[in-house]
Order: sequence, then C-alpha cells, then structure tokens
Amino acid sequence: MTQDYRKWPEFDWLSGMIDWKKAEKITAGVDIGTTSAQAAILCDGQLFGCANIRTGVDFRKTADIVMERALGQSGMKTEDITEIVSTGWGHQNVAYARRSLDEIQCHAKGARYMYGPEVTTVVDLGGQTTKAIRLHSWDRVMDFMLNDKCATGMGRNIEILCDILQISIEEIGEKSLDVKMDPEPVSTTCFAFADTETIGQFRTDFRAEAMSPNEIYASHLFAVAWRILGTIGKLQPLDVGDITVYKELAFTGGLAKNPGITARIERELGVTALRSEYDPQLAGAIGAALLA
Amino acid sequence: MITAGIDVGLENIKVVILQDGKIIGRGIGRTGGAGRASAIESVMASALQEAKIEAGNVEKTIATGKGRYDAAIAGEQYTELVTAARAARFLHPDADAVVDAGADETLIASMEKDGRIRESTINQKCAAGIGTFLRNMADRLEMSLEELGALPPADPAGITVSDGCVVFGEMDALSCLNHGASPKEVAEAVIESAAIRACSVIKEPTLPIGDKILLVGGLAKNAAFVAALERQAGIRFIIPTDAEYAGALGAALTAIPLS
Repeated sequence: MTQDYRKWPEFDWLSGMIDWKKAEKITAGVDIGTTSAQAAILCDGQLFGCANIRTGVDFRKTADIVMERALGQSGMKTEDITEIVSTGWGHQNVAYARRSLDEIQCHAKGARYMYGPEVTTVVDLGGQTTKAIRLHSWDRVMDFMLNDKCATGMGRNIEILCDILQISIEEIGEKSLDVKMDPEPVSTTCFAFADTETIGQFRTDFRAEAMSPNEIYASHLFAVAWRILGTIGKLQPLDVGDITVYKELAFTGGLAKNPGITARIERELGVTALRSEYDPQLAGAIGAALLA
Repeated sequence: MITAGIDVGLENIKVVILQDGKIIGRGIGRTGGAGRASAIESVMASALQEAKIEAGNVEKTIATGKGRYDAAIAGEQYTELVTAARAARFLHPDADAVVDAGADETLIASMEKDGRIRESTINQKCAAGIGTFLRNMADRLEMSLEELGALPPADPAGITVSDGCVVFGEMDALSCLNHGASPKEVAEAVIESAAIRACSVIKEPTLPIGDKILLVGGLAKNAAFVAALERQAGIRFIIPTDAEYAGALGAALTAIPLS
C-alpha cells in the first residue's frame, strides 16, 4: 500500500562548468505538460540548469516551482534571464514568461539540439498527447501529426496500469522485453479497454498455457506502441517514393524512457532511434530556450 | 458451519468468513498483478486471524469477482451478479434490486421476491473503470479519496467534464484546471460525470425495478458519488454498512448448501 508504483523520479541539475555572470545571453524555456513540467536555462546556447517535476494540481505553482528548482543554488534569479519562453499544454500559466511558443516547434528544435542536426523525425511521447514531427534539413517543421482522440493519454495510461498491477513504472519496460516472442496485443482502441483486457489476461482458466507477467506487460505495451505507430505512419514522407523516412528518428517525452515502448516502435519501423546524453523529457523546454 | 467468500476485484481483494450466518472475520488488500496469488493468501490469512480460526476449519470457500480464477484455495467460482444478489437478499430480505458499483464494473440485478435474479445489466465497455477513474482523479487533484467523497454536489451551472469515457473525462478535467478552475470544482464535475456514466447502466429501460434498491461495492462508500447517482437516477439507495464486502459476503453465503 505504501509504495507508489506510478511515480517516476523528479530531478534537477546544474552545470558546474559555466559561470553565468560572464554569459552574454541567458535564455530559459519552461514546458508545462499535463503530467510533467520542465524548465531549462541556457547560457550562450549551453545547458546551464534544468529541472523536471510532476505537474501538480495548481499549474501556476508548478511553473514557479520548476523554475526555482532549475535555478537551484546558482544564485541566478528570474530577472537575470534575458528571455523566458513558455510552451506546452499549460503554457499560459507561466506568469514570468514573456511569450509562448507551440510545442511542435519547441520539440523539433530541442530534439535537433539534443540528438544532433541529422534528426528528421521526432516522436514526442507525452502524458496525454503523442506528437510525430517531420523536419526539413534546416530547422523547419515540414509536417506533424497529433494523436487521434481515442489514443489520448498513453503516458498517463502506463502510470495507471503500473498502479493497478503494482509494478514499478521504471521496471515495466525492461520486464516486457524479457519474453521469447511478443504475444498478441490487447485492444488498441483506447486505454480503458486495454486496461480491462490486460487485467483479464491474468486469468488462467481458459488458456492452455498461462501467460507470464512479462508476457502480459509485453502485450499491453505492444498495444500502446501500435497506437503510437499509427500516428507516426500518417506523416508526410520527405520525398515522393521515399521509404526510408524513419531513419534518424528521435524519441522525446516521458515514454521515451520506457524501452518497452521505444524498442517495439524501432522494431516495427526497422530502425534504431538516436540516443542522447540529455534526458528526453527536456526536449520541449530546451527547444523553447533555444527559440527565445 | 464455517464458510468463506473471496472477492477478487480489479483493485481490492475482499474476504469474508461466515459462521452460522454471522460474519466472524474479514480482510481487505490490494489485488495487484503478478503477485496476486500471494496477495489473496495474505488477505485470507488476516481474515482467519480476525476470526481466530485455522484455515482447516473453513468447510467451503467460494471465489467471485474479476480475478476469481486466481484464488486457488476456492473450490468453486461464481459470477459477481450471483454473489451480489445473494448478499442483497441476506442484508435486506425484501430488496427489489441490487446495484454493485466497483473499481471496474457497474452492474444491476433485479430480483424476484424469492431471491432469484430476474434481469441484469452489466456496464458496456465505455462505462468501465468508474472506481479506478475516481481514485486516479483524486490522486491527480491531490486529494484523498475521503476528501473527494465529502464534496458537495456540483453546481449545475458550473463546469462539466465529458461523461463519454474516462479518457476524455480526464483530459477535460485537466483542461479545466489549466484554465484556472479550482481543484474542488473540477472534482465535483468529475464525480458528476462518473455518476452519469453509472446511471446509464442502471437506468436500463427494460429493467422493472422496485423502490427498495441496495447499493453495494466500493463506490457505495463515496458519499458524493452516491448523492450524484441518486440525483441522476432518481433512486434512493439503501446502503448497507461495509458495502464493499458484499461480493465476498455473497460468495460465503453461496458456499452454504441449500437445506
């Protein structure tokens, strides 16, 4: 009862290498999502500080806390930052931001910064929305797709499932990959259907061989990955007849940290996604800071 | 004669031990996924401890609920409908119908005067997960379930969230929060939407139900939800104490052989 299976760890980080007082231009980006909120501070285009927290019930307070944690012990104040840009679903709640930009642009820009300039497809796997973005070779969005209504809440669904099944959210992905072969996915219509079906799979009476817990996780995460693939597949290709469009794919957002999802999307598309030293959840905030 | 009933629900496991028509032990615990079998055993053990008897003293055990086939100690399994009706008959001998509202399922069974089930309806898929939805929303709104249950009725002119399904409902609730609605207002709207969804199940037009209707299941403990459901359905429910144990009680009663 006491363990909270759904909670992933929050963090903040401060660069010890940069003296912000000498920086010419300090910019910051704040990404307030439905489930998590991030802030990133850049000094002359270098990441100086960042924070990633869960979005609380008060979006304004969340915006204040995330910035406070990103500033940390650096001594920097919000007034010292030349330009602050907010983005994300709750962008209007960042009182200290001077302007707002849409998430698509910010994620595209942030992914290029984090994963290198060769990124052509960005897949943002957020708490409530899934976004697939195709980029021109210059930093320009060519096409983007948002999830359909019924595919809403994929990230949040994993949290809820982990809570019901009493398994840690950080382990479910790894465990789901520990199977010989992926079983049939559960319902791919919406997560309420999928959850009901996943619980039912623990039943053993009408199956010749009982499914192992790992197989059950696999069948659920495969269904989530399948729904995300539908969104990616609707993107416009780079060139007419180009079938290798998914090369240079980058995942951002919270579910990018779940190998049970990313490995399955990679397998179905036949590609290996790019890796980054940055936390994938920071893409929106870093992008906003770069565009400031 | 000592019998036991195990109700393995989506979220919680409930156990009731009966001796000659009296409850002598109860237990409750989280269901979980992979560790379900051991969770059932530990809930059973705590119920046996409360009853101050050994496992060997229980003559027959019957399981019910969504995970009824996971209870290896149970000799037989019965559906939730049967056990809910059985418990309703025991708790209130002249009940006309029983509504069971839980984490995942909402069902209604109308009964003949002799206790047989006449008609029944279980929720369709899109009305699934009402209890889980309320618990998740309480967590998202940083309230406890008790605080959520103590809320006043929603303002009819206030905000509303989608009553289509839990996914849209949560999205709407977050949207309202984002635009400055207070968590309390949002929570009231969330309860209202859950009640509308439950109401769509129990107001089945073909069901001839009387005026003595029992409400059991975990949601019966949520006063705000019950008030909203009563308003939506136009029914005054009879709520027994320990309504969440009704399924397990029904299972334990079913284990008693008919004389």
